[in-house]
Amino acid sequence: MDKQSPPADRPAPILRAEGITSGYGGVPVVRGVSISMGKGEIVAVIGPNGAGKSTLLKTLVGILRSSSGRILLGADDVTGHPPEDLAKRGVGYVPQVQDIFEPLSVRENLEMGGYLLKDSAIEGRIKEVCDVFPLLAPMMRRRADKLSGGERKMLAIGRVLMLDPRVLILDEPTANLAPILADAVLSEQVRRLADAGKAVLLVEQRARAAMQIADWTVVLVSGQTRLEGRPKDLLERSDFEALFLGAGPPVQED
Amino acid sequence: MELYVAALGFGLISVSVIAIAAVGFTMQFGITNMINLAYGEVMIVCAYVAFYVNRAGVNVWAAMIAAALAGAVLSFLLNRFLYAPFQRKGTNLIGMVIISLAASLILANILLPIVGYDTSSYQVDQGPLLRWNGLVLTTAQIAIIVVAVLLMLAIHGLLRYTRLGKAMRATAANPILARNCGIPTQRVIDMVWLLTGALCGVAGVVAGMNSENFAVASGAAYLITIIAAAVLGGAGQPYGAMIGALIIGIVTELSAAAIAPEYKEVVAFTILVLVMVLRPQGLLAKRGALAAAG
Ligand SMILES: Nc1ncnc2c1ncn2[C@@H]1O[C@H](COP(=O)(O)OP(=O)(O)O)[C@@H](O)[C@H]1O
Ligand SMILES: [Mg+2]
Repeated sequence: MDKQSPPADRPAPILRAEGITSGYGGVPVVRGVSISMGKGEIVAVIGPNGAGKSTLLKTLVGILRSSSGRILLGADDVTGHPPEDLAKRGVGYVPQVQDIFEPLSVRENLEMGGYLLKDSAIEGRIKEVCDVFPLLAPMMRRRADKLSGGERKMLAIGRVLMLDPRVLILDEPTANLAPILADAVLSEQVRRLADAGKAVLLVEQRARAAMQIADWTVVLVSGQTRLEGRPKDLLERSDFEALFLGAGPPVQED
Repeated sequence: MELYVAALGFGLISVSVIAIAAVGFTMQFGITNMINLAYGEVMIVCAYVAFYVNRAGVNVWAAMIAAALAGAVLSFLLNRFLYAPFQRKGTNLIGMVIISLAASLILANILLPIVGYDTSSYQVDQGPLLRWNGLVLTTAQIAIIVVAVLLMLAIHGLLRYTRLGKAMRATAANPILARNCGIPTQRVIDMVWLLTGALCGVAGVVAGMNSENFAVASGAAYLITIIAAAVLGGAGQPYGAMIGALIIGIVTELSAAAIAPEYKEVVAFTILVLVMVLRPQGLLAKRGALAAAG
């Protein structure tokens, strides 16, 4: 398969990154990674700890700068644009850690998520987010750092939904969640958001759970794409585990 | 007993002055991560702005507005052209503290040739004496307390109920996430410097009014009390600074009455040290800066 032209049955990309190289000033952590996601599509990025998954996401949302390659949002080149601008353009991001404003109340967190909305629109939007996460409704006045792990993640995702983003970038949304809750977040919430038309980029430690809901999977090892394809196809490969763990040689694309 | 009631009166004025100053100082740290040691000197610059306006025949309360504007502009410029560029370069907290110390010295040395070494004081109409259960205060002193209470309520209203104030708290708590929300954190921080600079300017004038006279050197003395109140309440916490000011202000004046005026600072700082030993994070500190009180 050819990296440049994904299979025709993938939707047209909304967000497309080509040849991304980035890091924290020293040796690049992510090297030459290309990734894209289209309307209604869940793209799962899996790979061992330290592979550079979070670094890739931070680059896509403008927190880190890519030293090469480019990032396209629709037809617009947004390479090097700051996070505020990407938020304005419909890219929503839920970080792996520090994903909420801890000293603010639940309501204030949602208000900040909707900072770019008109004052008059915020109340209605909070109600809509509460329809997605009914658990949040009764705890509006609670301080966000008093929430349980699951409630906290719902708030973090609810916060990003306030702007109704076209692109949703989620960094390990199920880390620290009980397994049952983790499966529910993935198969119910995340899948539902994609079915509603959002392009979703999902980083997950739970590779198999992620691949169950994903339309496309990218395996990132040592900052490079080791393998990508339809989850079903990847799971059928006998060498998948070895590749996932980074033990195998780089795959020659065929 | 009379003595203590009178001391309480003095204490209330001290509390007002310290609170105005310390809230601005602590917000600069809480939101922009800047321990601005030039704060005391900016107070003095503003005190002199008001002094010249006052000497030109303008009422000291109107002069206070000029001082607030001067403080806002000076603090904004200080951040824009000195602090922010170094922060962007990744200068660490200690480096930034030293830069602010340098800014303080520069301000003092620009000011000295203009105003001289002598002490100055305002023309204040103290107004009629007001008595209440042994408490005796002049109308001007009551006005200082009223100004402080109004400013504290305004800060509370800003932080709790306005979009800008909540964005300030969000920026303090998690600046990157704030940007991911689309909050223009640069502009929010500019507003913080304008606002806290205005507080600093008002504080300079009320401190000058309260201490009978002031000079360029007064800035350092102000700064110590301000830091004490801010740290006592939990660095970066506006409500903490208010509580810190309340404790420091009352305790210094009561201990002046109970022991001897020379010891009032010693007692206050003993309390500060005790709090630091027993509760190093300060009285109100919670995880994350600028937590809402209650
Ligand atoms: N803020 C940072 N500063 C410097 N290096 C970092 C930082 N964050 C992550 N790294 C390094 O980048 C590499 C990839 O990290 P990360 O992208 O978080 O991996 P993953 O999300 O796949 O676990 C690791 O070696 C990590 O040590
Ligand atoms: Mg990660």
